[in-house]
Amino acid sequence: MNSCNSCNETNKKVELDRDKDGLVRDATQSHIKVKPMYNPDDLKDIDYDKDIANPGSYPFTRGLYSTMYRDRLWLKSFIVSYATPEETNKAFKSYILNGMNDLRLLADLPTQSGIDPDHPQAWNSMMCGGVATYAMNVYEKMLEDMPLEGVTYETAHQNVSCSIYFHACLVAIMDKSGLSPKKLRGSGICDPIRAKLVYASPDWTTEINRRVCMDHVEYTMKNTPKWKAAAPNGVDPCQGGMTAIHEIGGVVAVAIAIIEDLEKRGMTIDDYGSMVVSLDAESDFFETITKFRAIRKVWAKVAKERFHAKTDKAMMMKIGIRTSGLSLQMQKPLNNAARVTLQILSSVLGGVNSIDASSIDEAIGLPSHDARMFNLDTQHIITHEANIPLVADPLGGSYYIEWLTSKFQKDCEEYLAEIDERGGIYECLESGWLANLMEQNRLKIQREKTEGKRLLVGVNSFQGEEGPINQAISNCAYKVPSEEMRQQRVEEVIAYKKNRDYSKLNPCFVRLYEDTKSGANISESVINGVKAGMTIGEMCGIVRLGYGISYDPFEMCPTPNYVEESLKECE
Amino acid sequence: MSRKTKVVIGKVGCDIHERGALTMLNVLRDAGMEVVYTGRYQTEEGVANVAVSEDADVLAISDLSGSLVIICKKVINELKRLNAADIKVIAGGLMTKDDIEELTAMGVVASFGTGSSFNDSVVFIEKLMVEKEKE
Repeated sequence: MNSCNSCNETNKKVELDRDKDGLVRDATQSHIKVKPMYNPDDLKDIDYDKDIANPGSYPFTRGLYSTMYRDRLWLKSFIVSYATPEETNKAFKSYILNGMNDLRLLADLPTQSGIDPDHPQAWNSMMCGGVATYAMNVYEKMLEDMPLEGVTYETAHQNVSCSIYFHACLVAIMDKSGLSPKKLRGSGICDPIRAKLVYASPDWTTEINRRVCMDHVEYTMKNTPKWKAAAPNGVDPCQGGMTAIHEIGGVVAVAIAIIEDLEKRGMTIDDYGSMVVSLDAESDFFETITKFRAIRKVWAKVAKERFHAKTDKAMMMKIGIRTSGLSLQMQKPLNNAARVTLQILSSVLGGVNSIDASSIDEAIGLPSHDARMFNLDTQHIITHEANIPLVADPLGGSYYIEWLTSKFQKDCEEYLAEIDERGGIYECLESGWLANLMEQNRLKIQREKTEGKRLLVGVNSFQGEEGPINQAISNCAYKVPSEEMRQQRVEEVIAYKKNRDYSKLNPCFVRLYEDTKSGANISESVINGVKAGMTIGEMCGIVRLGYGISYDPFEMCPTPNYVEESLKECE
Repeated sequence: MSRKTKVVIGKVGCDIHERGALTMLNVLRDAGMEVVYTGRYQTEEGVANVAVSEDADVLAISDLSGSLVIICKKVINELKRLNAADIKVIAGGLMTKDDIEELTAMGVVASFGTGSSFNDSVVFIEKLMVEKEKE
């Protein structure tokens, strides 16, 4: 039956008010008050060559390259991580065939907490949000028959331990396949601030995270130069409540801390090259576009003025996008198609370098195949039918956009000055100042929603019954694995651990422990460990032991006997 | 009413998504309830214990990993084991229609998916307390 949904209501008398449902806001999503109109007077203090400049020229406000997308489109990426490596492998391949060219890797939640599937705390979220990638053998299954060269990989995990461990898995697989890890291309998030601020990640302390992040950065610069080890992340702080200003300011502050730590190791920003970051594409269209233009400009200035960068590359910030999962709603999920489309469009108009678009069914479960295809096709439509990427920064010169970019830059620089005054981003994390800022804005947004000052269609306004299309979207979302499947995984990992060659593994445990204690770069001992079968849980635990804290981040289990045995000789 | 309604919000396992739990913490407090949040990375036994020792009226389980059915089953069993089956369990977060049916069948008194109105949860708990008074 093809009746319309609202037919039940049309028997009632209908009245119409022309001015009903008008605007409720006079500020952007991040509370920046805006006027109804902008004109040349608003740009009086802006100098085109100095503040805006052509795409490809300092300060890169309009984009990193002179021809932008004409020569090379943004990378189309997704996190693909289902319950099993086999499903994930199949999905990756089908998305690659349909235009995905940036492969984002993730793991289930326990792996991202630094524990293996046989840990009692793993059960409830095992294989949820991704594969239980406890060791290299799972990675081999997950990436079977997929290209390792000429492709971009990203590790999107929440914490530093995953970043170093899964980079090691990729290196180990390349070595094993006779390929050169020097050709490994991509990036990892590896952001010590996000790991704690947003995730309170239990695996390691911030002290360990900061040191290992820099070990990893240093190692990759020398050994896998096409891999950007750290990509400061604004997506998750923003989803946690930060405003757009605090999001980009926080990202630049983390980037500053990385370069400062790098200088302490005797390297410069020019050695490091371009800074890769991940940002959130939120629902506020113009604010989102502007945010991307502003952060490129702010970073270019920081690189040049603070770190005395000499090369253009070192002044460039490459932006990877994750569109806002938080903006997607469970009610009338078809509407999420409009949200995602606008977010992708704002990313393209903001000149970003890669886009990972959320899926329309994401408020219900892990993305289904159709929802992913919709994402890719939306990007193809934007490219080939709407012709959006034909001209670089097509909104450049708009009175509103340029005013807002300039406003963003100033506010962001003020925020950075405040972070500096408070002793830097790590101090702001440890003191709880960042968490408080995030919470305050989260509460403010919540109040606005309750008071009707922030409307969400289908949620706190324009509700209505859902018809068959919406219901179909809700019903096709990915279902989490059963308890039987989880039990199989536990048995698999126990068998895996039993069957390893401990004569090869034990020395790896010892070396990782000793490198951790002595302050040597642990990257190589992690790679060697991965090759010998060391799991993520073991790596996390041994590094913890090296810092004199319990092997188990949850303090539920003792150090495994075989680990204790092998470390007996170490002092 | 003799005392404020007391709600424990619990998160179990390694699910990192916390915004819903934190939001409900404030929403329920603003509605005049006493609310305790366990924080992330807890166990079923842990959150059930908190609910019992806090003498809670309601234990609200938040999860966005998709595992509410698995978690709530264990939580309810644990409450029974502790002779605290009178503590009502509410689920919030990521759930499919099938999940909601399963949750209801096992005794979860209400399930609020992502994007549910804050007010609905408040009204539901208030009604629940009125019924409890009558009992």
